[in-house]
Parts: sequence; structure tokens; C-alpha cells
Amino acid sequence: MKIARKVQAGTMQSSDLMVFLEPAETLTVTIDSTVLKQFGELIRAKVDEVLRRHHVESGEVRITDRGALDYAIEARLETALFRAAEE
Amino acid sequence: MVTSLLSTDDLRQACDLIDASGLSFEPPFDDLVGIFQAGRLQAVGARDGRVLKMLAVAPEAQGGSLLDDIVTVLVGRGYQEGLDSFFIFTSPSQVASFQALNFHLLAASSKSALLEYGDGLGRYLNRHRQLVTPGPNGAIVANCNPFTRGHRYLVEEAAAQVERLYLFVVREERSLFSFDYRHRMVREGTADLPNVTLLDTSSYAVSSVTFPTYFLKTGDPGGALQMELDLLLFAKHIAPFFHITRRFVGSEPLSATTASYNAAMHRILPEHGIEVTELERMDAGNAPISATRVRALLAEGDSRQLASLVPETTLSFLLSREGRRVWDPKGEAA
Repeated sequence: MKIARKVQAGTMQSSDLMVFLEPAETLTVTIDSTVLKQFGELIRAKVDEVLRRHHVESGEVRITDRGALDYAIEARLETALFRAAEE
Repeated sequence: MVTSLLSTDDLRQACDLIDASGLSFEPPFDDLVGIFQAGRLQAVGARDGRVLKMLAVAPEAQGGSLLDDIVTVLVGRGYQEGLDSFFIFTSPSQVASFQALNFHLLAASSKSALLEYGDGLGRYLNRHRQLVTPGPNGAIVANCNPFTRGHRYLVEEAAAQVERLYLFVVREERSLFSFDYRHRMVREGTADLPNVTLLDTSSYAVSSVTFPTYFLKTGDPGGALQMELDLLLFAKHIAPFFHITRRFVGSEPLSATTASYNAAMHRILPEHGIEVTELERMDAGNAPISATRVRALLAEGDSRQLASLVPETTLSFLLSREGRRVWDPKGEAA
């Protein structure tokens, strides 16, 4: 899947996350979270897994998280990816 | 649901809610949104460029997620317009509630605080990582609208006193000469100084975010608060990154705003280990050289006296076809 345009998904509510995607030549992922210290690595692993599953090889991925659970991270990121891939 | 506030009644309710929260309704803004419950406005917020402002929630609706929803929409729409980081000024007591929304504290004084969402500062610094030298280094922040002999003197003197001099050219497009032209005049005018590195300030020094009154040149009392945050941001984030231990500035006999910025520099920066050196302005014809004076000559179409005020590099730009188009749009002087 290709990040073809600039999109955003998610909200700033507690237990949710904001996902920002935009086209770029290389893949960069930055994660900001209110629970980064405790769960940063788990969030990162989840994000990487979803990106791999959708064969995302390039783009700028920025996430700000407020303690979202795994399936929320997956759902928000997938929504953003689908939007970014639409022509 | 968050909606745009457009009608006269919407605006009246927004004003009331903002006033009741101890803030004031302050145009301009690019976006103004709110949340209604049973016909009454319960939350409001606005975005002016990168700055979120006038965020207020009715007392009976606090503690829920209305503020989160307002900020979500302001940030989401701003992102679509090409912005990737957002600022908010708030009172120190509100810092924690914005940190919970992933805003990061850039600077705080006893009276106000500046936070950013989106880590633009981190990305700005990272972009310049390869320009960092061990130091000790110096810094000048200047608009150079246009680059004068006074700027040249300040840069030369400062560069001689430090390992490397970082010259931050104000990024903001609120001046007669565009950033690209100002940057070009500075580059050409300092090309012979090997230890001078040019940078742009982005939003993080003397910008419409950190120091809006610089561009207004009025005696706005709110300006003093913001000037303090501008300098704290420099002292806490920019200077340590570039190993800057000295800041150089020209004395300011003419503009009250800039003079009080200089005074604030002497007050704030030394506390953070940054020595401030103020150099006496250079004179030409018994009056200090300033970019304002150059612009006044340009406005009169008087290019004869320019040579005493600007270096040759600037002069040849000003008299070029491209330069003339900036200050003499009708081409009368050509």
C-alpha cells in the first residue's frame, strides 16, 4: 500500500490517538505518547506490524497517542492508510 | 459535534463564552469552531496560523472531552492546510492539561507558557544537526530587511570573538524583503567570513508565534510576556543544541520594541549561562545605520545615499532588476 496523499485519522480524546500520514521518499515513524515511557516499545511494535502487513515502504508516519489500546491503534492506522491510498 | 462558527448568533455566543473564561475575543483567526449542546455553545476554540487560541469550555461542561474534540478539529484542519505543528499560549496552571493532549512545553515564565503539538522544534533542530560544532559558539538573530553595513559590522565583530557564529535570519514573511531575498543578501554579505553559518529561525525565534509585536512595532503590553518566552525558548532549547554561549545584538536607539527586547535579553539570557554582548550601532552621517533608514530612502526613491548605509553586495542587489521590483514596483526609478 502506498501513502499517496496527506491524511489524518483519529482524535485527541483520552484512550485514542491521532495518525498523520504524508508521502515521503523514505519511511519514517515518529511516536509521541503520554504513556511513551511505559508502552512506547509496544506501540512502536504494533505500528510496525500494521505497516508491514500493508506493505508500506515509504511515507512519513506521525502518531500522537493518549493511551490507546492495541486494536484502536490498528484501526486508526488502517483507516489513515486506506484514506492515504485512495486516488 | 464540532461545527464551524459562522453566524452572528454563533459569534455572539463565542464572545460570551470566551469572555466568561477570562480570555478575550481576539481576531484574526483562520478557523473558529465550537460545540453546541441543546442550542447553547459549550466549547469554543480558534486557530490563527499555527497558533491555537481562545480555547474555552463552559464551567458545566468541563471535565469531559469537549476540549479534546475542539483541538482535534483545529489540528486536523490545520494539518490539511499544510501545517504540521501547532502552538498554544496558556497560563502556567493549564500546562498539565495540554501536556495530556501531547503538547510539549517550550517555555514557561511565571505568568504564561508556550506549548507545541507536533514536535516541530525537534524536527527543526534535527534538520540542522550536521551544522552543529563543539563551540563555544555565538548567535545573532536578525531580520536584515535589508542587510546593512550595521549588520555587517555586528556579524564581523561577533564572528571574531567566537569559534562559530550562527546567524539566524528571521523566517517570517512580514517584511518588505522576502525571506529568500533577505537570506540571499546576508549570504552574499557574509560570504567572506568562514566561521559564519546561516540558519533560519523557523517559528522559534522572533516569529509571529514567539514575538508577534516585533512586526507591529507598537507598545502592546502583552508583547513583554511573549518576548520573555521567545528568549526562554532560545536559552533552553536552541542555544544548548548549537552550543551557543554568547548572543550578540546591536544597541537600539530607535525602536522602543527592539530596545525592550534587548533589555529583556540582558535580564534573561545570563541566568541561563548565555553572555549578552551589545555593540554600539554604527553611524553614517551622524545618525545610526538601520534597515528602517534604508527603507525610508528606498520609499523616497533616493538611491544615492544607499552606498553609505549598505555593503556593496546589498547595493548591487537593491539596484538589480530583481531588487528594484521589491522597493520600486512601478519601476519609476529604473
